[in-house]
Amino acid sequence: MENENTFQPAENQVAAPAAAVEPGFAPRTDFARLTAQTAEIRAEIGKIIVGQADLLELLLTAVLADGHVLLEGVPGVAKTLMAKLLARTLEVPFSRIQFTPDMMPSDVLGTSVFRQNTGEFEFRRGPIFASVVLIDEINRAPAKTQSALFEVMEERTVTQDGTTYAMTEPFLVLATQNPIEQEGTYRLPEAQLDRFLFKLHVGYPTLAEEVQILTGHHGGQGSTNLEAVQPILSAADLAQLRQQVRQQRVEANILEYIAKLVGQTRAHKALYLGASPRASLALLNGAKALAALRGRDFVTPEDVQFLAPSVLRHRIMLTPEREMEGGTPDEVVKQIIQSVEVPR
Amino acid sequence: MFDLRKFLVQLLLTPVGRPTRVAGRLLLGLLLAAGAPVLAAPTPVTLAAAQRQRPQALPPDRSTTLPPRRANAARLRELAAQREFRYVEPAASTDAWDAFWARVWHWLGGLMSTPASRVAWKYGIYAAVLGVLVYAVLKLLQVDITGVFGRSGRRSPLAYNTAAENIHEVDFPTRIAEAEAAGNFRLATRLGYLEVLKRLTDRGLINWQPDKTNHAYLAELAPGVLADSFRSATREFEYVWYGELRLNAALYQQARTNQRAVVATLAGSRPAPLAPVASPNTLPA
Repeated sequence: MENENTFQPAENQVAAPAAAVEPGFAPRTDFARLTAQTAEIRAEIGKIIVGQADLLELLLTAVLADGHVLLEGVPGVAKTLMAKLLARTLEVPFSRIQFTPDMMPSDVLGTSVFRQNTGEFEFRRGPIFASVVLIDEINRAPAKTQSALFEVMEERTVTQDGTTYAMTEPFLVLATQNPIEQEGTYRLPEAQLDRFLFKLHVGYPTLAEEVQILTGHHGGQGSTNLEAVQPILSAADLAQLRQQVRQQRVEANILEYIAKLVGQTRAHKALYLGASPRASLALLNGAKALAALRGRDFVTPEDVQFLAPSVLRHRIMLTPEREMEGGTPDEVVKQIIQSVEVPR
Repeated sequence: MFDLRKFLVQLLLTPVGRPTRVAGRLLLGLLLAAGAPVLAAPTPVTLAAAQRQRPQALPPDRSTTLPPRRANAARLRELAAQREFRYVEPAASTDAWDAFWARVWHWLGGLMSTPASRVAWKYGIYAAVLGVLVYAVLKLLQVDITGVFGRSGRRSPLAYNTAAENIHEVDFPTRIAEAEAAGNFRLATRLGYLEVLKRLTDRGLINWQPDKTNHAYLAELAPGVLADSFRSATREFEYVWYGELRLNAALYQQARTNQRAVVATLAGSRPAPLAPVASPNTLPA
């Protein structure tokens, strides 16, 4: 050994007090139940949906991270079906709201009705009062109705006529929108976009997957019989899994890495609007859930990089110049990931 | 003499049947259209009579003489002294700076007034327009030509956050030994893994980039013994570094053995046996 006596530990390398040695290179948390139940969910959804493995992994990540998801894709790529199937695998109250241009906030949240027999107003709960809410074509409702979702998506409460109603756990909003159609649609407010944990792109299937879809349909097996999908997770199960996710280890350098990535969105020349601290929290929570899904009890930069586009793409705004040049948020996020050194 | 107007009136007033009247009115219309210029023109007889009736012009009055009007010289001087009647602006008083620019503009004006300068000016405009067009095209194509002028090309919008340490400059054996001596197994494991990455880079098996993750490097290796060794080393490094796994001497030896196995595979020899490491009383966080 050379210079044995001259070694100075790095500043952050402080010797900790004596502690029990941990059981080797294996997870210190038992993820057997989480792994088994999520595998069952994948299998149940796989009865109907062909492919989309990454999308399903991200949806499960959002479910475990207690976050809302915005699914974006062209018509016909099974956005709504995927959301409905995921809702079916969760044994919790489900409701679906089809957003239309003439929809009012009270159509979503509920309204107070005057009861003649009692002479009092009674609050009739709207369809938002469910555990899994599928909002189909969310961008077809005007900003007034979109704004009605702000409180319930972030604070999990609905305030009507001075009374606040708490949502039951879990509360998950799965929304879909079509990026192509502009007629009769409204761009979602930034404040609402920020409330979605992920914005996921639902793409086209591969050639082999499409052949499989056609084969199943032709054989009469590919019908969308939702009854074939069995519920897997109860509300109590999900609460336990989420508790495990919250206890994931995140090293200080990983926290700094997340902060750097999000911070770069605020300094990038191609961006008019950077991501908020809520994005940092979303990236952290998502990475913890993804690590658990992958059988690890700690977060790696790999998890952060994998989730960064889904967390950041809807929280940043390109400058008009970059938009005119044909740039996309995903390109900028990729540049940012390439510009920040992985902690190692 | 045949009177056309009388004839037409008689034709209209003559009581005849309806077809005849209609035909007659049509004929009247045609005749009126054809003869309108003739009817409208004054006859020569009428003009001559009018000329005869015009009054004769009176002779000029030469009996009265009027004195010519003369302006009041004093009044003229008074008016000329007023600002409102000055039609030439007096030259403003100029300071040295204005005088300098006046000379410059005068000199430029002189230059521009020569035939040669007019030609130069004309082609100068063409050159400027061409330059703007070239710039616009380069901008649209996002071509970076700053390197042409001897400067390094522009950097990407975000420069890399410089690494805390360059793996090609670290004296790994020394630093690992120091970390082991201090009982800092976590740091020693990290340095050992960085050394593995450096050796893989030196052999051209991976492309070292600060933004790449460990699994990105793993994907760059062809399947085989080396990839398997590196996978094990990566897994252990991640448990220690990201997973904050508390190491004892045995676990550390296991991690180092896998790291040395990668190095040995690269060198084509079996890994050298490790020197025993004492388990410290305190473990690094």
